[in-house]
Amino acid sequence: MKKEIELLAPAGSFESLHAAIQAGANAVYFGVEQLNMRAKSINSFALSDLAQIKKLCSKHSIKTYITLNTVMYEHDMQILKTILKEVKKQKIDAVIAADFAVMEYCKQLKIPVQISTQANVSNIESVKFFASFSDAVVLARELTLKQVKQITNEISRKKIKGVSGNLMRIEIFVHGALCMAISGKCYLSLHTQNSSANRGACNQNCRHAYKVIDQETNEELMIDNEYIMSPKDLCTIDILDKIIDSGVVILKIEGRGKGPEYVYTVTKIYKEALKAIEENNYTKEKIEQWKIALEKVYNRGFWEGYYLGRKLGEWTENPGSAATEKKVYVGKGKKYFSKAKIGEFVIETGTIKMGDSLMITSPDFGIHTQNIERLVVNGVDATVAVKGDSITIPIERKITSRDKLYKIVEA
Amino acid sequence: MPNIIHYRDKCIGCGICYEMMPMVWRMSKKDGKATLLKSELKKKTYVLQIDDSLVEDSKKVAEACPVKIIKVNK
Ligand code: SF4
Repeated sequence: MKKEIELLAPAGSFESLHAAIQAGANAVYFGVEQLNMRAKSINSFALSDLAQIKKLCSKHSIKTYITLNTVMYEHDMQILKTILKEVKKQKIDAVIAADFAVMEYCKQLKIPVQISTQANVSNIESVKFFASFSDAVVLARELTLKQVKQITNEISRKKIKGVSGNLMRIEIFVHGALCMAISGKCYLSLHTQNSSANRGACNQNCRHAYKVIDQETNEELMIDNEYIMSPKDLCTIDILDKIIDSGVVILKIEGRGKGPEYVYTVTKIYKEALKAIEENNYTKEKIEQWKIALEKVYNRGFWEGYYLGRKLGEWTENPGSAATEKKVYVGKGKKYFSKAKIGEFVIETGTIKMGDSLMITSPDFGIHTQNIERLVVNGVDATVAVKGDSITIPIERKITSRDKLYKIVEA
Repeated sequence: MPNIIHYRDKCIGCGICYEMMPMVWRMSKKDGKATLLKSELKKKTYVLQIDDSLVEDSKKVAEACPVKIIKVNK
């Protein structure tokens, strides 16, 4: 029997949600309000957005998973119930949970649950334990593919079924940031800035450069790399066949804090790779091309994580992203002339010129890229536009004042 | 008179403000966010006039808030 593989993309905003849909994701995950691991991110969704998210996803037959995976305190119980009631009402497909209170409430309300990677599930007995609360488990990111395969084999052999009566489904991360702490359970940020990663407020101390100095001798210890706590990002595009072979059925892309161009590019490429595998057409040349394309969006350099059993030691050499391209903000949308298919924008900073490659991000359609082939500045044909100018360009997308205009340049 | 300003929308409900100054803060049972007791709502932010004696501790709370949504004006 052929397994349906589900590609699960992050959606931290309506822009990213649209980008995930555009790129062909089978499912999306997102958080609302403060009880999710990206609570600090500026564009998090509100509870009142759930209806719209669901509507949009239903239209495209995409599954919706909501993250409720922070540490839960006593004072969170009421808001948790309020959120879950809305989740039930909107028929969100599952809740991603790590705390037992969340699992228990979901059980009472008959809401499907997926066990978060925060729960650090690393063996079949844990899967069995969680099976009475859930239908899917996101395994610990630190397992090797061999260990993953043992778990999926055992699920089939022992017929371990979840709440729905179907066999437990296994999910793993295939792309995105990794962190030095096991299953994200890190206290660095809490210790240094009172800012708990486990409440979605990670300050990313691990991404800084550090020196190690011997206090007695004042000597600086030799270490290979100053970024001693910042692992490179996970990328499995070249071992995706092995990943599928391990028996997992949900492939998750990290990045709810990242932009729509990241969500679009990564989702699209993994989707293509999955198709290639299915069609027996997963070639070295293609993998090379995909890698180059993935390097264009946010990344800290790539490695294949712990899946092949390699020792930890792939540290990033970058304080930020090693992406080969970056987007530079230049202005925002103003209006759209539907008949003529012309969009108007106001340049707020920098310049743009003929031939530039533009990207527009929008809460209504996700992302759109195109080169400038015709440019009208303040009503007359021109080759350059600067700050303060109002420009119009032919474009197929309906532009509104909520859209942002970027220029794509080499990083 | 000095005051505390709380941009409540962005509160992540970590509870540190309440831990540090329970006489001024409460964790709302309703939505899990911090509530600045007896404060007044002014354009989406909550404002509370405070006594000089509370300024120093309030500043420490503002410093401790992980999402920096508390401001103290002297
Ligand atoms: S410290 Fe800040 S984030 Fe934490 S509960 Fe208080 S106001 Fe909210």
